[in-house]
Amino acid sequence: MNYKQKSTEHRAQSTDKNNLLSISYVLFSLVCVLCSVFFCLSSAHAKVYIDITSPALRKLPISISYTGPEGAKEIPEIVKNDLDFAGIFYLIDPDISGAEITAKISVETAEEIKADVTLFDLINNKEVFRKKYTASRNILRTLAHSISDDIFKEITGREGIFRTKIAYIVSSYGKNSLHMMDWDGYSQTRVISIGLTLSHIWSPDSQYLVYSSERNKMWEIYSLNLRNYREMTLFSSKGINLVGGISHNNQIAFSSSKDGSPEIYVMNLNGSGSKKLTKSLGIDVSPVFSPDGSQIVFVSDRGGTPQIYIMDSDGTRIRRLTFEGVYNTSPAWSPDGKWIAFVGRKNGNNQIFMIKSDSTDLRQLTENRNNENPTFSPDGMFIAFDSDRDGSKGIYLMSINGERQKRITPKDIKAMNPKWSPYIK
Amino acid sequence: MKKVLILVLIIFAVGCAKKYVKETEEPVRAKPEAAVEAPKEVKVEEKIIPREVAPTPVLQAQEPAFELKDALFDYDKYDIRPDARVALDSVAAWLNKNKNINILIEGHCDERGTNEYNLALGEKRATAARDYLIARGVASTKINTISYGEEKPICTEQNEACYQKNRRAHFVVTK
Repeated sequence: MNYKQKSTEHRAQSTDKNNLLSISYVLFSLVCVLCSVFFCLSSAHAKVYIDITSPALRKLPISISYTGPEGAKEIPEIVKNDLDFAGIFYLIDPDISGAEITAKISVETAEEIKADVTLFDLINNKEVFRKKYTASRNILRTLAHSISDDIFKEITGREGIFRTKIAYIVSSYGKNSLHMMDWDGYSQTRVISIGLTLSHIWSPDSQYLVYSSERNKMWEIYSLNLRNYREMTLFSSKGINLVGGISHNNQIAFSSSKDGSPEIYVMNLNGSGSKKLTKSLGIDVSPVFSPDGSQIVFVSDRGGTPQIYIMDSDGTRIRRLTFEGVYNTSPAWSPDGKWIAFVGRKNGNNQIFMIKSDSTDLRQLTENRNNENPTFSPDGMFIAFDSDRDGSKGIYLMSINGERQKRITPKDIKAMNPKWSPYIK
Repeated sequence: MKKVLILVLIIFAVGCAKKYVKETEEPVRAKPEAAVEAPKEVKVEEKIIPREVAPTPVLQAQEPAFELKDALFDYDKYDIRPDARVALDSVAAWLNKNKNINILIEGHCDERGTNEYNLALGEKRATAARDYLIARGVASTKINTISYGEEKPICTEQNEACYQKNRRAHFVVTK
């Protein structure tokens, strides 16, 4: 019996090791691709072709052409998929006229991929961007996403989200493990499989994941350094300890029932300086900082039902945000600070809503079965969430007006609780 | 002065743009050290992961001498119902008779709420059950609590009968 248990432990360990190896390698390689990005920054703001903040946004017709070996044909496909999802381009076949911008991707490949990308303004008949990319084959997708980011930046003047990651939970046989993947659902990697992991957040520099796991009948808060895979226990006490959010200056907000009832606390990223902010008899949970760090949105049942409240980040000036319905939870603050996305129960199902932080302009974004755990992309244009609309829970993306909802995780795994990373620098 | 500055900036920008288009950048190679670097990472791994996955002494769950019935809860609630009192009274009586026994109370929820809130709700259910037992004379030192929220259901069908089974405080004898 004992022996059996040991051999299982060992297997788990070696699988983890392989996973960890691949992650550290991916992170390392990422740096290499990034190096080439910095060269072109000087010319980045030459002309903005699309003002994505404009209410009368006109989609830009763009064509993507490719020359190179079959083996790297994925690259233009990934770039097309990225640009298509951005929602601000019309992708036009390069053989048909009508494009205003054309991107030419040419690849020569062997062990290493060398790609040459030019962007040509067909209206003004001039080349506006040219860059070479080199990367090893195993990070082909990262290379392609870098090309998408560069094209997006050249055309909009803004950072693209195509190299960002989503951390999420995979649930199987009563075990919850922490995974991460590219924003488009590819490159899924297991990060932590020990214990039962529930909540997790990214540090502002994307270098740490902070999460709550139940191990040995204790809910503790851990941080994992994604560079060297060192895990640290940040907070430990009896009861539940659940991370909610992290501020731009690395203050972690969490809910702990160490004194009896779940209350909101803050502490530093290294686990020091914990401070209690709320005091109520009921439940206070899911605290998330506003982007400027001055306020915290959280869930409380102090009014009789779970509702969303906002307070100043020192715990003062508590005011209620949601008034419709009897069950509103899981708040996420938009990167521009204007909106709170949350889960509200309507006709027996959970749906994703958005409301302005002054309690006005309530909008429902989903309507099919249950939709939970919203998280904003770092540019604030998209929301990732989980849904059981296709049977088993999976992760979906949509634009913030509720359009273009699509599943990005396979149907044979139960995936939930997505958390979108900040920009990957 | 301002105009001159702007002019200088424009010249600079134009210069930059031209230079940019003409020259192609130095390709940045995936560093050959990558292969060397990776095994290094693994070594760090080996040091750390065993600590992470080291078998932790799990509280041994034993079958109690007689069945400790779950205390059930209403939807989204954590107050003790009359039928839950009956269940808890018998748990208290049994614990008061068997002074050497410790228990763990697990708080559970049905799947309809959201995960984080349900974890807090399960915690409130477990502590409500604990507080009831303490009021019935059970020593607080003999009771530990844990919440699993909606993560460990005993019933996975989507109907009220099943939801009710999952909304519970469950008692596990630990010593």
